[in-house]
Amino acid sequence: MRSPASHAVRMALIMVLLSAALFPIYWMVVTSLTSSANLFADRPQMLPDPSQAFNYAETFAKTSVLLWLRNSAIVAVGTMVLSILLAILPAYALSRFKFRGKGLLGFVLFATQMLPEAMLVVPLYAIFAKLLLLDTLGGLILANAAFTVPVITWILKGAIDGVPIEIEEAARIDGCSRIDIVLGIVLPVVAPTLAAASVIAFFHGWNEYVFAQTLVLSQELRTASVGLASFVGELSTPIHTVMAIGVMYTLPAVAFYLMVQRYVVAGMTAGSVKG
Amino acid sequence: MTDAAKLGTAMAGRSPRSGGRDRESRWTPYLFIAPVALYLAVFQGYPLLSEFVLSFTQTSLLAPQDARYVGLRNYRDLATSSDFASVLWITALYTVACVVCAIALGLGAALLLDRPFRGRGLARALVTVPWAAPPVAVATIFAWMLNAQYGIFNHVLKLMDFEIGYESWLDNPKLAMPAILFTTVWQIFPFASVVLLAALQGVSEEVREAATMDGADRLSVFKVAVWPTIQPTVALLALFVTIWSLRRFDLIWVMTQGGPIGATKTLVIELYTRGFVTRELGEAAAVGMIGLTIALVVTFVYFWYTQRTERAQGRR
Amino acid sequence: MASITLNHVAKHFGNKVAISDIDMKVEDGEFLVLLGPSGCGKSTLLRMLAGLETATSGEIHVGGRRVDQLPPSARDMAFVFQSYALYPHMSVRRNIAFPLIMRQFKWWFHIPLLGGLAKRRIERSPAVSELVEKTARTLSLTEMLDRYPRTLSGGQRQRVALGRAMVRQPEVFLMDEPLSNLDAKLRSAMRAEITRLHQRVGGTFVYVTHDQVEAMTMGTRIALMRDGVIQQFGTPREIYTSPANTYVARFIGTPPMNLIEGRVDAGMIKLGEANLPLPQALAAAGREAGRDPVLLGIRPNALTLAASGGQGQLAGTVSLVEHVGAESVVAVKLSHAATAHDEEGAVAGEIMITTQGYSELKAGDPVSVVLDLSEAVLFSRSTGEQLRAGLALAA
Repeated sequence: MRSPASHAVRMALIMVLLSAALFPIYWMVVTSLTSSANLFADRPQMLPDPSQAFNYAETFAKTSVLLWLRNSAIVAVGTMVLSILLAILPAYALSRFKFRGKGLLGFVLFATQMLPEAMLVVPLYAIFAKLLLLDTLGGLILANAAFTVPVITWILKGAIDGVPIEIEEAARIDGCSRIDIVLGIVLPVVAPTLAAASVIAFFHGWNEYVFAQTLVLSQELRTASVGLASFVGELSTPIHTVMAIGVMYTLPAVAFYLMVQRYVVAGMTAGSVKG
Repeated sequence: MTDAAKLGTAMAGRSPRSGGRDRESRWTPYLFIAPVALYLAVFQGYPLLSEFVLSFTQTSLLAPQDARYVGLRNYRDLATSSDFASVLWITALYTVACVVCAIALGLGAALLLDRPFRGRGLARALVTVPWAAPPVAVATIFAWMLNAQYGIFNHVLKLMDFEIGYESWLDNPKLAMPAILFTTVWQIFPFASVVLLAALQGVSEEVREAATMDGADRLSVFKVAVWPTIQPTVALLALFVTIWSLRRFDLIWVMTQGGPIGATKTLVIELYTRGFVTRELGEAAAVGMIGLTIALVVTFVYFWYTQRTERAQGRR
Repeated sequence: MASITLNHVAKHFGNKVAISDIDMKVEDGEFLVLLGPSGCGKSTLLRMLAGLETATSGEIHVGGRRVDQLPPSARDMAFVFQSYALYPHMSVRRNIAFPLIMRQFKWWFHIPLLGGLAKRRIERSPAVSELVEKTARTLSLTEMLDRYPRTLSGGQRQRVALGRAMVRQPEVFLMDEPLSNLDAKLRSAMRAEITRLHQRVGGTFVYVTHDQVEAMTMGTRIALMRDGVIQQFGTPREIYTSPANTYVARFIGTPPMNLIEGRVDAGMIKLGEANLPLPQALAAAGREAGRDPVLLGIRPNALTLAASGGQGQLAGTVSLVEHVGAESVVAVKLSHAATAHDEEGAVAGEIMITTQGYSELKAGDPVSVVLDLSEAVLFSRSTGEQLRAGLALAA
């Protein structure tokens, strides 16, 4: 039914779309592999120059990028683990129990999505000072998870809604207590969604900037987002070094994302399409 | 509970394993939500409350212990400040533009990627890459691409024979906002397209065919068969993008810090500037409360609107 | 040892009464079928037996032990669900072994890895693995033990669900419409399989269905329910030949029992224009009604068609003929006699007759209906209850 011409137009549009989506990432890689001389040439170098790979070695030597990446990884993994641990039980309760205050809990979880992180920075700073959490990665994790737990609770609740209640009844007859059912039956059944939720929490921790910028002061606890941002507008570091750091910060995330994107997309859309 | 039932419960409690483990009280749900409720109370509820209190004080970041109650003065000052009016205007502009552009582009991408073709799975995965890139990295790379002298943008524009010379995008009050907007839309349109792709699965092939049989052209088929199905998802997306735009900090801060001369100063940037640059925590808190109120109003309008349409269409 | 006794069991959901005051005793080894239309409370009753719902009032005893306040797992009952409710993340072997693993469960089994190893040890212990293998052999599931539920067909999943129930060797098996998700052919095969299972493993079975064929073929006792009340409790034969009321009469049998309005007088029953002598037992029952109108209940196969009218025959015209292969179902509109009809809407004045072979009759043909009253029953028209001769005789 479709003419070949319209098919060609469509494929061309798709190519344009993909180029637009990928070009900035590509350009970051190219810049990180451009010699200092070519950076400021009249005609920009359009292809990566592998001979400039030593630039990465120099970046390792001159900056603390490895330390930053390590800190980001700790924060991301910590945020992921903490949010999942905290979200499982309320997600189950929201899906399966009837209780007074359920509507309120649902509203509170949704309302947290409206709070800008920047708004809570000051009071959190005061609380962290009291609890001795200031300038620790653990504190950062606690602050980040407060923003991911509500999202993850909603996503998991949606998945648990889809688990037939008969499976739980069968397990009760087979001798499972409620906690046996949650941990032994429901969680394994919603494992794909659990994976998606974990990835979403991981990315939140990996990307986070405001708290990492404000609640952590020591140089050796900087995360990659803060480290990278510190170069913007600063002129003494050559741009290919900045871009090399950008590549090291971005590409692992993108690669990880591409590996798990089927789960993430499923989890993300399960929460949003149903509304 | 009858006496007999009490006796039964007591017996069940005595039976060694199963009785004790299986029994549940009406408190079980609260036991399940207690940890998260406590956690959110400490790390969201309490900070929000203290922010609210702070907004009625004059407090300096340098000496927070010297807070002074000033009533509604912070709000009054904001209400009469023309600078703050421009912050609200810029925020509104940025939000609306983000919603319209991200959803339009996302819908276009979703429609392109909806029907099967070779490599569709790969294309769908690759188009979402911008969404996976960290915002700070996105800001860094776009700042470089938009660089006045050496940026690839100006180079391409020159190749295409535009007579604009070397625009300094992020330093020009007229161009900084479009540049920020462009970067933001690049980062978030993939989310819209992924969600809309899922919504498009719900479009009935039969209704599409029926419309075609009735002689509808492509646009009419879209209007009668596609749009009604995805409309609730579009509305929900609009809500998400609105709230995110009101919250967005990292991308704008890293690229322009709200400049030049306030051209990209949204509410959150204003809040952060007042708190950490001019160090007036009370004023910052007032800005934050106004931002939160706006987000709440938008959300209520959304729920009011969707419930009204759902009722009108007999869906509840 | 596993007789089931229900004493005044009731269940209310808010103001709605799902089960009202049920008394019942099921002997050990019986196959009880709870039969009724959807919403009659049969599933609720089963779930109360299992402990998935709590009874609002009343007592449930199994084998002399009161169970109604015990949790499901302490009742020594197995439950087979309509949707099978297999654990999708476990192999068939683990699904079947699961109730046995839970018997030895410790809290630390929740620890990842460690718990997994412990569970596998139990699964591989001789006692458990032999029982699982034996159960699988009985149900011809041996080849499927290491597969996952989603790779099985509907019938195979059903057998896994049965296996999970059997492996516990419970005193009572509870089944909630276990065959309703299967296609017609598989359903009759599984019907026979469950009956054989009952004969082999013994134990008391309680089986919920809305399908009267399943009830008649599988049950040793049937409890026919409607609106939370048991209409009749008896053997399939009692329920078929001697329905307690017009509801039971119309529910069992395809096509259902005909109910013709009439009046009994001096050993005779007057149906429209015709006057027929009643057999002795029926005549005695008829006397209970006195001068009140009655309903004559007669199965379609106790009616025959004659070409011309005669003494004691009912005149009518054919309104519809359905050919079902070996027999034909003829609907006849009676000229004079009236019939009772239920909510399923049999046309007023019409009766159904089954005849052997392929009927040559056409709609509009005048016919005469001959009644064989030897297996007929009488109901009171006002109450719908069956009329029986004197309490002494009925007992």
